[in-house]
Amino acid sequence: MSLADRQISTPAGPPIPAGDRMPAGAPALSIRDVSVTFGAATNRPVLKDITFDVREGEFLSIVGPSGCGKTTLLRLFAGLMAPTSGSIQFDGKPVAGPSRQRAIVFQDYTNALLPWRTVAGNIALSLERHVPSRAARDAQVAALIAKMGLERAAQQFPTQLSGGMQQRVQIARCLAQQPRIMLMDEPFGALDAITRQTLQDDLLKLAAETRMTTVFITHDLEEAIYLGDRVYVLGANPGRIIETIEVGLPKPRNQLTTREDPKFLAHRHHLFGLMQGH
Amino acid sequence: MNAVLRAVLPPLLFALGLIALWQAVCELRLVSPVFLPAPTRAFGELWTRALDGTLWTPLLATTRRMVLGWFLASLAGVALGAAIGLTPAVRDLLEPTLEFLRPLPASAMIPVAILFWGLSEQMAAFVIAFGSIWPVLMSSIYGFGNVRVRLQEVSEMLGLTRLEFLWKIAIPSAMPDILAGMRSGLAVSLILAVVTEMQASLPGLGYEVFLAQRSFRSAELFAGLIMLGLLGVVINHGLELAERRILRWRPKRA
Repeated sequence: MSLADRQISTPAGPPIPAGDRMPAGAPALSIRDVSVTFGAATNRPVLKDITFDVREGEFLSIVGPSGCGKTTLLRLFAGLMAPTSGSIQFDGKPVAGPSRQRAIVFQDYTNALLPWRTVAGNIALSLERHVPSRAARDAQVAALIAKMGLERAAQQFPTQLSGGMQQRVQIARCLAQQPRIMLMDEPFGALDAITRQTLQDDLLKLAAETRMTTVFITHDLEEAIYLGDRVYVLGANPGRIIETIEVGLPKPRNQLTTREDPKFLAHRHHLFGLMQGH
Repeated sequence: MNAVLRAVLPPLLFALGLIALWQAVCELRLVSPVFLPAPTRAFGELWTRALDGTLWTPLLATTRRMVLGWFLASLAGVALGAAIGLTPAVRDLLEPTLEFLRPLPASAMIPVAILFWGLSEQMAAFVIAFGSIWPVLMSSIYGFGNVRVRLQEVSEMLGLTRLEFLWKIAIPSAMPDILAGMRSGLAVSLILAVVTEMQASLPGLGYEVFLAQRSFRSAELFAGLIMLGLLGVVINHGLELAERRILRWRPKRA
């Protein structure tokens, strides 16, 4: 088995603070009547009248068929684009652009990593201006490398690593910026089944440890249910929310028992039917 | 060892074969030795001049001239290329002018440069830089213009400053193109160093070759040519090594 299948060692190095917590109950993100139309205003909207909250500390899965605007939604949360109409608030303030409080894990890790920097160098990128002391920075990078099980790859370049390892590097780089919320755009979509399961479990452990709010986008129903506290289902043309599910499966989740849980199967059945209808 | 031998031997034999052919042509007196010296004479001349030191002064002068012009061209080319490649407004502003200047042969700039600077090193530096900026400039524009959109987004998400983006993302990302352009620019700068020397009587290998031709010293002429060829090979090889070191993060091609 490759390094990609290693478990996260807990706890490794100094804990990574996840910023100041909001008072319990207040939403991390609130989305109100958001619509997005590309090009002319007469065009069909990509997203239409989306309204929901992302709760502080929750793991929210958003699942939907391709072309339903999932990625667009995540880019709105990140501040990489603005909605055509409607409002998005983070922490009670409108999202006006990217912020280090919100980290995004892109699906295409090959493009998102700097190929000329080593694993350690890629992680350090998000710390260089904010942690000027070389020693302190190195210590933080080393802690993240240990946390993500990347010890043996620290001095390698991204192209020398497997896909799963590269995605670990991207996640580590996002953790380095100590975000309040982690936005993940089909992060495991390009990985093989085994690597994907290992990363799913590592991610759940990480989320539980840091109690970081996570929005996870996927087109894989089972992945959405397995990871999420809640699942939003988006329909396509135009992209809109067609269902909300409280998952309610016990934690920690387990690749075998969770997936065999009748509740899991019921959710899967229900979502499958919804997606078939579209 | 065997593999090295197999790689080096055929091209070496080919070159030696050519030299042998050249020698044969001279031995058979197919061409007058006034025009074409035998390789033994040309290499002999090179050897004597290397020993008595008269080779090194012009070699050094030409190398310095060429490297200075090339260095200035590379610096300006990368800076301009970054400005144009990263900012569409600058591109729109400069492109028409550059399109006008680009097709001008650099040697046509020699008279202009002489008007401004006389028969001086500044003049040579200007002409060489003018000619060898284009490959660096063009490939830099391409390199900076093609920084992955994803990396720009990563830079925004991590809150990098403009300057950080330039140093940490744009320049390394454009580096393969920059280096390729610099390598082509170096070849141009050698040509222009020789041309300016011939045109403006600046001391150097080009001027020596020119003088040798004028006085029918064919051995000297060919010794100069051989030296110029060697200079090109050595510098190109050096750049290749530097490139491999700088771009060591690139996956090796099979």
